[in-house]
Amino acid sequence: MFAFIVRRIIQATVVMLVIGFIGFSVKHQLGDPVRDLVGISVSIEEREALRQELGLNDSFLVQYGRFLKNAMHGDLGYSFFYKRPALDVIFDKAPATIELVFAASLIILLISVPVGLYSAIYPKRFFSKFAMGVSIVGVSIPVFLTAIVLIYVFAVQLHWLPSYGRGETVDVFGWESGLLTIDGLRHLVLPSIALSSIMLPLFIRLIRSEMMEVLETEYIKYAWAKGLSRRRIWMVHAFKNTLLPVITVGGVQLGILIAFTILTETVFQWQGMGFMFLEAVERSDTALLVAYLVVVGALFVVVNTVVDIIYGLINPTVTVASR
Amino acid sequence: MQTKRQKFKESYLLYSFKRDKVAMVSFTILTIFLLAALFAPVLAPYDPYDTASIDIMDSEIPPSWVADGDSRFFLGTDIMGRDLLSTMLYGLRISVMIGIGAVILQAIIGIGVGLVSGYMGGKVDAILMRIADVQLSFSTLMVAIIVSAIVQLTFGVGRYEQLAVPLLVVIIGIAEWPQYARTVRASVLGEKNKEYVEAARVIGLDSKRIMFSHILPNSLSPVLVISTVQVANAVMSEAALSFLGLGMPVSRPSIGSLINAGFEYIFSGAWWLTFFPAILLIIFILVINLLGDWLRDVLNPKLYKG
Amino acid sequence: MKGFKIISLLLMLLIASTAGAKTLKLAMDADPVSLDPHVQLSGGMLQYSHTVFDPLVRWTQDMKFEPRLAEKWERIDANTMRFHLRKGVKFHSGNPFTAKDIVWTIDRLKKSQDFKGLFEPFTSAVAVDDFTVDVKTTKPYALLLNMATYVFAMDSVFYTGTDANGQEKDIILKTGASFALDNESGTGPFIVAEREQGVKMVYKRFAAYWDTKSPGNVDEVVLTPIKKDPTRVAALLSGDVDFIMPVSPQDFKIVGNAKGINLVTMSGGRVITFQLNQESRPEFKDVRVRQAIAYAVNNEGIVKKIMKGTATTAGQQGPKGYVGYKESLTPRYDIAKAKELMKAAGFEKGFEVSMMAPNNRYVSDEKIAEAVASMLSKIGIKVNLKTMPKAQYWPEFDNRAADIMMIGWHSDTEDSGNFSEFLAMCFDKDAGYGQYNAGNYCNEKVDALVLGAQVETDLAKRAIMLQEVEQILYDDAAFIPMHWQHLSWAAKNNVKLEAIVNAQNFPYFGDLVVE
Repeated sequence: MFAFIVRRIIQATVVMLVIGFIGFSVKHQLGDPVRDLVGISVSIEEREALRQELGLNDSFLVQYGRFLKNAMHGDLGYSFFYKRPALDVIFDKAPATIELVFAASLIILLISVPVGLYSAIYPKRFFSKFAMGVSIVGVSIPVFLTAIVLIYVFAVQLHWLPSYGRGETVDVFGWESGLLTIDGLRHLVLPSIALSSIMLPLFIRLIRSEMMEVLETEYIKYAWAKGLSRRRIWMVHAFKNTLLPVITVGGVQLGILIAFTILTETVFQWQGMGFMFLEAVERSDTALLVAYLVVVGALFVVVNTVVDIIYGLINPTVTVASR
Repeated sequence: MQTKRQKFKESYLLYSFKRDKVAMVSFTILTIFLLAALFAPVLAPYDPYDTASIDIMDSEIPPSWVADGDSRFFLGTDIMGRDLLSTMLYGLRISVMIGIGAVILQAIIGIGVGLVSGYMGGKVDAILMRIADVQLSFSTLMVAIIVSAIVQLTFGVGRYEQLAVPLLVVIIGIAEWPQYARTVRASVLGEKNKEYVEAARVIGLDSKRIMFSHILPNSLSPVLVISTVQVANAVMSEAALSFLGLGMPVSRPSIGSLINAGFEYIFSGAWWLTFFPAILLIIFILVINLLGDWLRDVLNPKLYKG
Repeated sequence: MKGFKIISLLLMLLIASTAGAKTLKLAMDADPVSLDPHVQLSGGMLQYSHTVFDPLVRWTQDMKFEPRLAEKWERIDANTMRFHLRKGVKFHSGNPFTAKDIVWTIDRLKKSQDFKGLFEPFTSAVAVDDFTVDVKTTKPYALLLNMATYVFAMDSVFYTGTDANGQEKDIILKTGASFALDNESGTGPFIVAEREQGVKMVYKRFAAYWDTKSPGNVDEVVLTPIKKDPTRVAALLSGDVDFIMPVSPQDFKIVGNAKGINLVTMSGGRVITFQLNQESRPEFKDVRVRQAIAYAVNNEGIVKKIMKGTATTAGQQGPKGYVGYKESLTPRYDIAKAKELMKAAGFEKGFEVSMMAPNNRYVSDEKIAEAVASMLSKIGIKVNLKTMPKAQYWPEFDNRAADIMMIGWHSDTEDSGNFSEFLAMCFDKDAGYGQYNAGNYCNEKVDALVLGAQVETDLAKRAIMLQEVEQILYDDAAFIPMHWQHLSWAAKNNVKLEAIVNAQNFPYFGDLVVE
């Protein structure tokens, strides 16, 4: 276990170094951050002086070296636009994204498990076929279209729910949460539905097919023969075994979900990391960009590791160290 | 032996296809779409790339059956005065090109890596799969945003229009090859210890030959199944990128960039600008997914989960 | 049970905070980048300055000067203007406002990277007594009062000394933390109560505001930046916000027709033009080719179709009301004439050029560029168009990267000369002229006239000089003018926005009445 974690940490460091290098080598190509800082009539010399001050005129290696040195001290650079350390900016924006992803995951979980199980157990019933039909249509609709339709129907036409932003947030030990106010929750509804719409069909189908496979196995047949109750067979014996692959896939998909927040956050002006990333691209806020990439890379490694550990805990036949 | 099995499969494929109405309808629609995309220059009433024929005064004409419609433009015109139907046909062509191109690239990289990784095992396998993991941690969108931002700036102005399609193929191809690699690797691991491979090894065939002419053909059905899904994914990725303004340039719109352009007009009353391209995109992806589903059911391959 | 208590407590808080007070929920395309008014010269920062600070004088809707911190002013000699300041004005910190603060503010403006160019003609300001200040220039300067609209008094006592990090409080930093970045003390109608950059900004009314005659009754302004046009409009239509600016042309119909919503537009001073680079493209050296392009462009069509009538077609740089404006210089759309000119120049077969335009800077910029590209193809000029976000566009513009570049310009001085100084004069890096002249157009006569107008205090003579400049540029087709953008605001009917908006796009929120 210990060796495993050490290996993962080394791996994460390598991944982050590579990401930092890639991010760093592209940053020169993303435009000139100075132009976004000054008014349009500022003279060329003034701008040049500013570039010098920011160290943008140093050679690539000098800049990368400086970046690495600072990164060792946990300093991933300074956002030009926010005028604050990039990591601070990201951590300020993270709660918004995490809450959005959390809400979307909750929706996915609460709907996909019962629907997936039901349609696996009763594949011939109308509701199962209907659910399968809806889910394949759902998988075919791009998330930004879902988002637009939701805004148009529920915000503009019906005036039921707000169309943008996070609404009222409450500061809980430095974590700006929108989950504790009614206004914040109302704002969360449409974006989280839009975000969950990509993964929900996928999970329904996954749970269904896994469950169907498990129901065909020998030991379930054996359980039937033993005369166990239906509920016990489905919920304990079958469902538990369905969980394993679902968790594996879920871990991978969580990363994708975080990436998809870019689209959702853009349409809903949700002030999270995805929105920040896209704005940073448009503003050439390069330090923030590199920091974002490093943080997301780290997040992915962490999620993967946790998934592997959970996998090991649930399934005793896989020893964590051997992976 | 080999060919007989293949034949059997084909006939079974055909048999179940004939029995499945959804598959047949999907296939028909997909064929129509693909033909429409292929023959867009012939079918389209106008050439949307011929800027000289466009008149700004024709802009935002609603579909022909609506009041104020114009019989010259069946589905109406866009903000530049281009015929929407023609623009959509050309857009579909671009989306199809990118979708298929990207999947071919994914397949080449992914199958190669998957075969080597699965067959060699050990260190090579570990390293390759870690690379795939890292690659996966950057979703398509992020790779695309960065790469396209660079390329848009590195190559001169005039050339972006021509470069956009290959560029998007490369971006989406690179971002999603691990899907293939994992699938192929999984099925190679399954095949590797089977007798026919052992036999080939005993005869003394080299590993390249074993991999490509023995293991690969037997791993093809999962590849076929994920290919359909991946085409749909690639088309969606392209649409998402264009929606973020990082895809096709305004003068060579894909379906995604058409939807993006229409999004600004969603409240203006010009509903057709978003509606028709959106419907086209959804139907296109839907039929591919339905076919993929059917293939999965019929071939029932062992897929790598995730 | 505990959960219920928390929720009901929150509900009570929610109700308490909304009762009585008049709150304006405002959505703009961006929020101020800093609390320091001198950190950037941009529309957004000036809008902020008018909310939290007060200038010496400000523009009225009919382009006159309205006394603010200066009650009256007189010219003492050719190079000196004397301002008599308002008495009894307090800063947000509680410090009294005096002539010292004006002197300090002008000194700081001269240090600011963004403002130093504008304040270059100023030598110094001298406090005569506590409420009288003399502003001196190096040479007679016709635009002194225009410049006085940029002098937003800052609290010299508040901004003097060192902050917790040992940094001078008055330092102007574009990229780092500074005292003025997070703290403000002006004399304006609102105090910044809360700020989360890029997310929201809350202004609270300043209880001791000097202008007790102002009808303004808004106690709190909550500003949220919403960048995407449709999202901003959706927020207004769904009732989430009370006031939005700007409104994009394609949404005029729905906003104008929406019940309970008031849409106001006003012609603005920003001109949109295309510059033809004569160095990268020798064809553009031929005046006939340039004219042909001017004839090929259908300004009317673009204004009508793309701008939905929310712009005025332009044939010159400065709009009507500016001194250099000449009635006779109108757009000249005529395809036949354009083709004739191309033929005369020997380019009947046309040629290929590149064009660049931003896609998030001006109203419908990308679409305008696309339309112009298609118009040029009709006279045989094939255009390869590339559009990009402004952060990437400006470096390209500086490099003159394409043969045709789009540029919009709003005169910082509200005067015609400013256009030519930046866009049409020969490029001179040292003097800073022609900095945005990506066409590399150069005409000595234009330069002489513009420089002459700078020191000409006889306004009639000055007008004739600036009008001649416009005429020469028109005849030379030095650039391709498109239109002047209109400004637009929309709000719920109970928000009386007509009274507070102006052609500079500085809504005076202090005077806003909400019923």
